[in-house]
Amino acid sequence: MQRRAFIRSLSYIGIASAFPFLSTRSFAGSIDVISSHAISVNDLPELTGELTLYLGRGEGGLYEDVLNAIKKRNPNFTLRIRRGPTAALANTIMAEAKAGVRQADLFWAVDSGAIGQIVGAGLATPLPSDLTDQLHSKFRFNDWAPISGRIRTLPYNPERITADKIPDSIMALPDSNLSIAWAPAYASFQSFITAMRILEGDKATTQWLKAMNKKAKKYAGELGVVMAVERGEVDVGLANHYYTLRLKSGKPDAKLDLAFTKDDAGCLVNVSGVLALKESKTATDFIRYLLSKEVQTYLSGEAYEIPLVGKLSPPEGIPSLTEISPPTIDLTKLADLRPTLVLMRNAGVL
Amino acid sequence: MKSVTKNIRKVLTCLVITTSFAAFSAITIANGEVGEHVNHLSDNIKKYEEEVNWLSTKVDGIVTTYQKSGAKAAHPDALMEHWEAVDFHAAIESNYVLIYASIWQGLYAVKGSIDEKSSIANVKAEQVKLERAFWQALGAVKMAAKFQDEGLLAKVKTTNEAPKNSIEALVIIDKNIHSVVAKYAEKLTDTATTMVHDTYLNLFEGVEGELITLDAKLVEDLEKDFNVTLPLAIKNNKSVDQVRDIVTAMSKKLTKAKMLLENKAKNKKDVF
Repeated sequence: MQRRAFIRSLSYIGIASAFPFLSTRSFAGSIDVISSHAISVNDLPELTGELTLYLGRGEGGLYEDVLNAIKKRNPNFTLRIRRGPTAALANTIMAEAKAGVRQADLFWAVDSGAIGQIVGAGLATPLPSDLTDQLHSKFRFNDWAPISGRIRTLPYNPERITADKIPDSIMALPDSNLSIAWAPAYASFQSFITAMRILEGDKATTQWLKAMNKKAKKYAGELGVVMAVERGEVDVGLANHYYTLRLKSGKPDAKLDLAFTKDDAGCLVNVSGVLALKESKTATDFIRYLLSKEVQTYLSGEAYEIPLVGKLSPPEGIPSLTEISPPTIDLTKLADLRPTLVLMRNAGVL
Repeated sequence: MKSVTKNIRKVLTCLVITTSFAAFSAITIANGEVGEHVNHLSDNIKKYEEEVNWLSTKVDGIVTTYQKSGAKAAHPDALMEHWEAVDFHAAIESNYVLIYASIWQGLYAVKGSIDEKSSIANVKAEQVKLERAFWQALGAVKMAAKFQDEGLLAKVKTTNEAPKNSIEALVIIDKNIHSVVAKYAEKLTDTATTMVHDTYLNLFEGVEGELITLDAKLVEDLEKDFNVTLPLAIKNNKSVDQVRDIVTAMSKKLTKAKMLLENKAKNKKDVF
């Protein structure tokens, strides 16, 4: 099966039909997979009181912009922020809980794996259904709320290869004649390998890593991968979707297109997410602000992330999620990173 | 003495220029324990002066011993031990890492010339350069003390804080790459390499996504600098001056990046 091309259509997100089933509540069997509308901040209650947010670093200052806007809009609300790498903050929350302390009211993480770690430890507080129902049905969870999504992709150089030369199975990639760029030390890549482990098993994943290691050119980060593809150093790379969109934004004539594998880890959709660690109306209302139409549109427009609420359009240059085939996987299981790192080391990749 | 004064003046001018960017940024991790004295520079200037004089005497003693009794008797390793023993070490590392790197470069140059049994003229030439770096450093610390007294210098902290946005991240990145030169000059090659890698992965990687939409060529250049040019220069044991040249060029690109992001911030659309 050799399909694929970079689909430029901006069709609306029929997200649920394409996404894995992740929540017990989302088994509602609804055909109405998309919530009717995203709520404007104008319709949200004013925030009052104080909250402490643990904020995972990511997206430059865009999350900060969102937080500043929320603070400015709510003068009777005080937000204390502790910043750091997402994984480190997740570990801090776990350690604090072990010591019988809960300093944070909220945790906003850049990837669902860290969320899974906290949810798995039973530290997250259930969210009201009227809040989670705003999300596309496949992204409704009892204990946390995804904020925005990103897709694993295969950026390729159309001057070197055509789309039909790219396998639509990620497992077949090492057997292709393509030259490949990857960034195994990169956190998103490691989440992708975790997904592969869950979907294909450790043995197949090890074989894949070993085969790839023989032919793939290593880069430190995934923007480096995308730039290497654009320069023509390699035919194809492995990277999150937004790197390609950002490079094309800064360099409109960039020689880059996107391909997607089908129903495997190569097309994983991962998300950033937020959870509450204490029961609090203010904390819940704060999450409503993050899911508001304005914040979702801002993150999509400025960071090229995929909005997960209402009928908001994906960023320009990304196909409708109904046109791709992400795997069915419980995103919170991506927290189990240690066996992935062991496996990558054993395969000689790290 | 005249040329030393001139050099200090040059350094002070340089300090004033760099204040707007990174030289006096708050976050510094020194090589070892950072004493609280670095937050009270004026109170300690006299001590630092004494230490610089003491260091000069020690260096001179080692060079004189070399001249009279040879390399083994000179025990040039003591140069580093003496340098690490003084509080002035942390004062300059906390406040002006560029000269801190020059001191390490000078220490190893004197040691190297003795180890290689160079002519006494060559050894003394390296000694002069090292002395110059000591006095430049003292001048820089005096200027930093003045800024500190005027409240223009943030308190030195021993831990890094996460940057709030890409502009803050760029300031830390610039400081980190100058520290790479210092660590390389200290012959801590693995530390320098790790610092380059960590700065890229933990800081620059988070900035470049935003930056590439503004200037793709600039990001491409910096990507190459972080992942190829700088680590390769360290791996291939290039001279400290060559590594410093690479870092200086990177620093200029970071300044441009900072300007682009500041301009973007002015025109940023509101979230609500």
